Amino acid sequence: MAGWKSPEQMTYVGKEVTRVDGAEKVSGRAKYTHDVYFPRMLYARILRSPHPHAQVISVDTTRAEALTGVKAVLGKLRDEVNYVGDEVAAVAAVTEFKAAEALSLIKVEYKVLPFVVRESEAMRDSAARVFSGREKNVGDWEEEHEGDVERGFAEAEVIIERTFHMNVQVHTPFETHGCVAKWEGDELYMWDSTQGVHGTRSGLAQHLQMPENKIHIYTHHMGGGFGSKFGPKSYNAVCAQLARIANVPVKLLLDREEELLATGNRPSSFQTIKIGARKDGTLTAFQLESYGSGGVGGGAGVPAPYIYYFPNWSVRHRDVYINAGAAAPMRAPGHPQAAFAMDSIMDELAAALGMDPLDLRLKNDRNSTRQQEYVIGAEKIGWTNRHKSRVGHKVRGFGMGAGQWGGGGERSTKAMVNIYADGSVDVRIGTQDIGVGTRTIVAAVAAEELELDLADIKPKIGESDFPWAPASGGSVTAPSVTPAVKRAAEKAKNKLKSIVAEKMGVAEDAVSYAGKIFSISGRAENISWQEACRFLEGSSISELETWGEGLSSWGTAGTQFAEVEVDIETGRVRLVKMVAVQDCGLVVNTLTARNQVNGAMIGEIGYALYENRLLDVETGIMPNADLENYKIPGALEMPDFDVTFFDQHERGVIGLGEPPAIPGMGAIANAVADAIGVRITELPITPDKVLMAIEKAKEGKA
Amino acid sequence: MVLLDYLRTIRRLTGTKEGCREGDCGACAVLIGELKNDAVAYKVVNSCLLPMGLAAGKHIVTIEGLTADANPIHRAFIDEHASQCGFCTPGMIIALTAYLLSAVKIKAEEAIDALDGNICRCTGYLSIKRAVAAVCADLSPKLDSNRIDDLVKAAVIPEYFKTMPKQLRSIRQPRGDQHPTDALIAGGTDLFVQQAETLETAELYFLEKMQHPVWEEDGVCFLDAAATIADLKESEFLQELFPRLGEMISLISSTPIRNKATVGGNLVNASPIGDLSILLLALDASLHLSGHVQERCIKLREFFVEYKKINLAAHEIIKSISFKTPDESVLFNFEKVSKRRHLDIAGVNSALLLRPEDGLIKEIHISAGGVAPIPLYLAQTSVFLTDKKVEPNTVMKAVQIAESEISPISDVRGSAEYKRALLGRLLQAHFIALFPDLMREVIV
Ligand SMILES: Cc1cc2nc3c(=O)[nH]c(=O)nc-3n(C[C@H](O)[C@H](O)[C@H](O)COP(=O)(O)OP(=O)(O)OC[C@H]3O[C@@H](n4cnc5c(N)ncnc54)[C@H](O)[C@@H]3O)c2cc1C
Ligand code: FES
Ligand code: FES
Repeated sequence: MAGWKSPEQMTYVGKEVTRVDGAEKVSGRAKYTHDVYFPRMLYARILRSPHPHAQVISVDTTRAEALTGVKAVLGKLRDEVNYVGDEVAAVAAVTEFKAAEALSLIKVEYKVLPFVVRESEAMRDSAARVFSGREKNVGDWEEEHEGDVERGFAEAEVIIERTFHMNVQVHTPFETHGCVAKWEGDELYMWDSTQGVHGTRSGLAQHLQMPENKIHIYTHHMGGGFGSKFGPKSYNAVCAQLARIANVPVKLLLDREEELLATGNRPSSFQTIKIGARKDGTLTAFQLESYGSGGVGGGAGVPAPYIYYFPNWSVRHRDVYINAGAAAPMRAPGHPQAAFAMDSIMDELAAALGMDPLDLRLKNDRNSTRQQEYVIGAEKIGWTNRHKSRVGHKVRGFGMGAGQWGGGGERSTKAMVNIYADGSVDVRIGTQDIGVGTRTIVAAVAAEELELDLADIKPKIGESDFPWAPASGGSVTAPSVTPAVKRAAEKAKNKLKSIVAEKMGVAEDAVSYAGKIFSISGRAENISWQEACRFLEGSSISELETWGEGLSSWGTAGTQFAEVEVDIETGRVRLVKMVAVQDCGLVVNTLTARNQVNGAMIGEIGYALYENRLLDVETGIMPNADLENYKIPGALEMPDFDVTFFDQHERGVIGLGEPPAIPGMGAIANAVADAIGVRITELPITPDKVLMAIEKAKEGKA
Repeated sequence: MVLLDYLRTIRRLTGTKEGCREGDCGACAVLIGELKNDAVAYKVVNSCLLPMGLAAGKHIVTIEGLTADANPIHRAFIDEHASQCGFCTPGMIIALTAYLLSAVKIKAEEAIDALDGNICRCTGYLSIKRAVAAVCADLSPKLDSNRIDDLVKAAVIPEYFKTMPKQLRSIRQPRGDQHPTDALIAGGTDLFVQQAETLETAELYFLEKMQHPVWEEDGVCFLDAAATIADLKESEFLQELFPRLGEMISLISSTPIRNKATVGGNLVNASPIGDLSILLLALDASLHLSGHVQERCIKLREFFVEYKKINLAAHEIIKSISFKTPDESVLFNFEKVSKRRHLDIAGVNSALLLRPEDGLIKEIHISAGGVAPIPLYLAQTSVFLTDKKVEPNTVMKAVQIAESEISPISDVRGSAEYKRALLGRLLQAHFIALFPDLMREVIV
């Protein structure tokens, strides 16, 4: 089958295409899971643990059940709760307020157990156990090495050792997790704000012990996920069970506090790094000891050594458990943590060597794409002329960082293209548009292949009854979906061609198709798309095809630069400018791709400067479980963004969700260090840390 | 019941979204139109904090109520890809429409500021800013004196807006309650964050606005306790008194919150970092209280007793707030530091009023928030500085005295150590702002 044409020859792919569902979104007509309604629908709420660790002795729901308006109650969801916000019981009632009132009537007897929320404490042998009955709060050491680290350090002329600490960021999608469950006989229909309709279906089937073919998941519009919504989650099963008990549809939406407590987060990371280099900047050795916590979940490891080439290295990591909500994958799991620490220590090394941080990277990064990207980025931010200018109490600084990611396609992805007798076309694929514009690229790729107008194609996605596609995550969506759609469209087109050939009584290869016209070699008459489709009367074309080689690939490289202004009176950091240079193969939609990068960068700014899940050591409570105190960046905090795509369209489609979310924290931290002359090794870089660091540096000098 | 629930669950107008239920995201933004003279004035508010009682007699417009066909705002949001997951989009479009309806002169920069109450987690805002700029460029030449007619013509709002003044006049406007006995609501922005669940079934009483939000009598300036922060910003009288008023007020909450939050509510809320409390303490304001039996007047500095405890009897309400109208010689400055520049509660804030005479400080009042359990009037510091000359040394001494007056605690907004250091910086910053020449030494 054919590969991609070059971008210049394409109409919809590689171009700025506005989203096909734009009109629905801007008018408020787009129906999200939050907006689904059925007559007689009930509203459910989950009772959550106020204790970070307790045994649930008993759950008495009698009074809740007696409350008028309460239609279904699920008592005692688990025997032990392990974080504030863990699920205990659930109710469904005629209104949300009724449900909340019912929750307050549930009597739970807890046996409160000792808990621990600080990683360093949890690692001690004497620490309270996060899970009763488990021997320790730490996972096994994961170790890896290459070369001879001892020798590497012996060869080094400069050795630097630092410890870095990364905060816990919470995904905070704008639409909170939630679903609506509706039973028809023994079939379950569920509208869910999920990043994966198929995964949610199979997971629920297992959990509810029912066949997959009786579960139907819908996600037509979705208000973001960022990795937190790989379903199913326990709320899905709770909602399905409540709906079965009540025998009417039930809607269960989490509120913002639940979202911040219990739906996932990016694990913390503590990394002690030692690196060695020769005076000329050649890196000789790298050593990392790291730990981190995904709360009651795991996954706090980091890829290391990140980006730069070390002939000798050794890394050791272990996960630590604490009594806090479980981590979930979040935009490039592990990579931002790795990149922040690595880029910070590289700048420290550059300073010790008296070398330009850019030169140090050019010398030690063996990726040829990034080599070129560094040069482009440096040019765009004005690296060579960066001088620290000081206007009153405001100081400027510059920094850079680097990242890499995979993001290839899933081979089992399938798409179906239907061509109808009236000439209309639809594409069905069980992917979902979590906001990034997947619906639009499905239509664009089909329109491109069939040489039709975008408006002629109806993209149908977000239903688990459509052909299998992976969950939207890990930057696999575009590289999975586009090849399958392209190949299915090509197959359908060829099918139509063969029907034309048959009707015209010629051999198949005598028919060619271009610009909505079928022509037959040696004959004058043409057959339009519409006419050809009319041959289908009484039938239609339905072609299923899978993903195929050659249309997508794996592996991206990127760099970002930041310019900041630090107010040394208040410690506040303002981003002045951020530059991103990123490769992603064939950019399917330049408009959405640019947005994707901008959106990733604002996530980075939040991570670097504002966002931090706090936990109170005394109570285990998260004191900032609301948007007033868990601050995400607003429009007025946005710097000037400059995004350049490093064109490599010949590589085909590569995902772009994660790569631009990686290099920014290092770039920002380096820029702050450049501005104030002191390094902040702990994110987020809040005004108090900056001001205290400045004060401390002054004291040190005085 | 709050308007958001009414819209979404009863009317099933689901274009208005819920993101936080506490005024922090703007997903639930709607327009509220109120009769003013013979026209309807529209503002953006957060429907999640708006009790139905405050919607009575008003024109409420949701995203569904804007022109759907060929709306230039829709077009721009689509063309610039300003709607990614789209969950924030209706709120953004409503906030922008509010700006177009109310701004005297359309400027893209101001229009973006008008989105200070709206959060987006997907786009990085760049595409939103481009869309806003495109809308402003497109519409500003088309918007003349009759804003409603022009916006109807431009296909932003539907034809029926023209009939709203008549429609609103024809319905009975609700009256406020003189003597509340249960939950008293002014703007509701505080109460509905704190106690949404109890208020769902409580009987509510609404504070009535006076005829004027701001007035002057015998050299004393009065503020209606029911005046909103937006009313203060719009008051020409206050603008003249405080040339930097707009800038100061833009640091407080967000456009939709300022459109509802009242002065009285901000004081009664008694947050140690309440911005208006801090501003009014430095103006050495007095409160005029009215209860069942008597009226009384107290100094604002005597109003705050301890953490969230105020000198206000049950059934007593603040009627108005007054302060001596500052004459031309008086200098005033306000500083606020928060993590984010907008829509963020202060870590520390401070205000200072100073009347110089013959090279000496004749009168001075300094306040500081976030450094004690209550909004603090720095009495000793103020006394110390009275009759002194403005000199770096004196200021440094004043900082030391201030440090002995405060008792900051560590919380989510910063460590005690940081707040202590920051207050010192802010005090210096006041003097640097007001006496750049005299304080040069400190700057470098
Ligand atoms: C998102 C958000 C951001 C905010 N940002 C800031 C900020 O940056 N700075 C800041 O200072 N504040 C901020 N606030 C707080 C807000 O300013 C105050 O909540 C507001 O001023 C309260 O006024 P209100 O009229 O809405 O109060 P309401 O909620 O109506 O009332 C609050 C309390 O005061 C009582 N009350 C109100 N008026 C009177 C009166 N005249 N006499 C007696 N009692 C009365 C009520 O009974 C109630 O107990 C923010 C709030 C929100 C929701
Ligand atoms: S729902 Fe967030 S401001 Fe109203
Ligand atoms: S587009 Fe998703 S929150 Fe703004």
